[in-house]
Amino acid sequence: MPAVKVENLEKDYGKVKALRGISFEIKEGEIFGLIGPNGAGKSTTLKILATLLTPTGGKAEIFGHDVVKEAPRIRELISYLPEEAGAYKNLTGREYLEFMARLYAKNERDSAKMMELGIKLSGLGGRLDDKVSTYSKGMTRKLLLARALMVRPKLAILDEPASGLDIINAYTIRKTIREFARSEGVTFLLSSHNMLEVEFLCHRVALIDEGRIIDLGTPGELKERYDAENLEEVFMRAIGEGGVHYE
Amino acid sequence: MSDFWIMAKKEMKNLIRDKKLLFGLIIVPLVLYPAMGKLMHVGLEKAQGETHVAIANFDDGQYGMVLVKTLQNAPNVTVTLINASSVERALEFAAKRDQNVLVVIPHNFSESIINDKPATVKLYGIFRSVSTGMKESVSEGRINAVISVLSEQIARIKIQKLGAGSPDAVLHPVRAESMSYLKNRIVPVSPSIVSGVLASQSITLPIIIFLMVTITAQMAAGAVAAEKENKTLETLLTLPVKRTTIVASKITGTALMGLIAALAYMVGMRSYMESLGVQSGISLSELGLQIAPGGMVLFALIIFLTIIFSLSLAMILAIFAQDVQSANTVVSSVILPLAFPAFILMYTGIGELPAAARYALLADPFTHPIVAYQYMLSGNYTGMLTSIAYLAVLAALTLYTTARIFSTEKVLTAKIGRGRKS
Repeated sequence: MPAVKVENLEKDYGKVKALRGISFEIKEGEIFGLIGPNGAGKSTTLKILATLLTPTGGKAEIFGHDVVKEAPRIRELISYLPEEAGAYKNLTGREYLEFMARLYAKNERDSAKMMELGIKLSGLGGRLDDKVSTYSKGMTRKLLLARALMVRPKLAILDEPASGLDIINAYTIRKTIREFARSEGVTFLLSSHNMLEVEFLCHRVALIDEGRIIDLGTPGELKERYDAENLEEVFMRAIGEGGVHYE
Repeated sequence: MSDFWIMAKKEMKNLIRDKKLLFGLIIVPLVLYPAMGKLMHVGLEKAQGETHVAIANFDDGQYGMVLVKTLQNAPNVTVTLINASSVERALEFAAKRDQNVLVVIPHNFSESIINDKPATVKLYGIFRSVSTGMKESVSEGRINAVISVLSEQIARIKIQKLGAGSPDAVLHPVRAESMSYLKNRIVPVSPSIVSGVLASQSITLPIIIFLMVTITAQMAAGAVAAEKENKTLETLLTLPVKRTTIVASKITGTALMGLIAALAYMVGMRSYMESLGVQSGISLSELGLQIAPGGMVLFALIIFLTIIFSLSLAMILAIFAQDVQSANTVVSSVILPLAFPAFILMYTGIGELPAAARYALLADPFTHPIVAYQYMLSGNYTGMLTSIAYLAVLAALTLYTTARIFSTEKVLTAKIGRGRKS
């Protein structure tokens, strides 16, 4: 059974068609990336899989459960990190992790284990006892990623996990994701418009543009298919706009 | 701990640590109101202090001296006699000597009284600053009281000289003894005092209800809008927690904080009113208006349902806002006009209004706590039960709508204005 199965998924916002029938599958334990420009439909796809939006057409399943009909069950399996997420400013980092751990854990022992992992993943050390309102953007993102992963979800859905961060913070976040995926075997679905990030992290990627998947494969396969040096060139050739991209 | 309590606890922790909320909801009512009351009290006490009266007596007869002596013997009055050539000089002197009032007894004062003509004494309140003039007002009142006693005494003497048996009967041929008939019982208290006692209740209660409803509504709206503003809503909605639990925990958290705020306002306002001496010394029970425990339970239930309605309505409205500020604006523009008509009931009973106005007011859920209070005092439990039924239906409907909206994508996509992100 695939971890994620998406069939002809469509989403309209009034007259605007955000998704025009996309289909893909993600295997269990795989890190799968959706890449494309702003407005391509990446966030909409992730939000549908995270049970936040209802599709206009098509079907999506996570570990065999329908995202619309079995939304409460899906929420027990996934952990979602939105692109522009925040944490409760008046809580400390530790209180925020504790709050989340208690909601996911079945008992105090599980909650303590989640906390232990969350503290380690965040890498915030003593700053965890400070209020979230005092955190930098990078610190908040690390806290949120720790929150998303510490519950050891069956599927982690990360929307632009390192977007808007400086090189060091972005590198730390990517490293955390890769190491966590290796050690815990968690399935990841992430979106990004950073091709380097996707190449670094993903086993397979889908190229998405204007609500359609235009190609899909491993980074190596795609580069070979388009005779490109990197995924950026792959994407530009896939949408029919070749040429020199580095100035 | 259940999901509900974990979330309600988080809501309260988040609210209680908000310095702006804490200042506005707890510090202002508990510290600033009593402080304002104390300041007013100090002003009143100063005004009630010793009255300094300067008297310029231009009268040569006996009655001028009688008035001076009467004022000298009056309580809280210190008299200074002035020898001045004119009223203007007397005023200058009195102002320099920090006197509150100048009493001018004219030269024909005794002559007028002896010749059975009205004698006039002139009082000048001396304002040393352009303040409220409470001191001058109190002083004038005290001297007028002394003059009226003296005037009546002179009248008695004159009546006796005319040979009338009872001067009192001539001076006051008709007397009125006021009593009140309340709840089928004669109360030996004048209607104006009864009205004062009832008014102090009927004025305070709408204000408290108004504050409670608006404060809790703003907090609930803020709790939803802050999730959008701080970008925590999407994460919250993907947690393995029922959406109804999310709504219930937000309502409970804000209702508890609202209750604390309402209590703080009640304590603060009570202290403020007490400082102003708004106390008739007569309790409701002395008027035969005893509140039975059953009535209190029904009243508490009505307050609870009103708050639930207000909170869930505010949450629905806040869903359409993108940040706390716009949520507060939207909620104020809907809740304030709804809460305002309750003030009409400060001055009139619901039963005294024309049928159309009565039903229009009763359709507004925020008038019910005030109507219920009047019903509770008069023991009309049927009216209270009708209110409970009406409010329960409204609260259930708004709660259901809130839970429904939270269960759909509207909670994320609904907004005033346009815009969409991929």
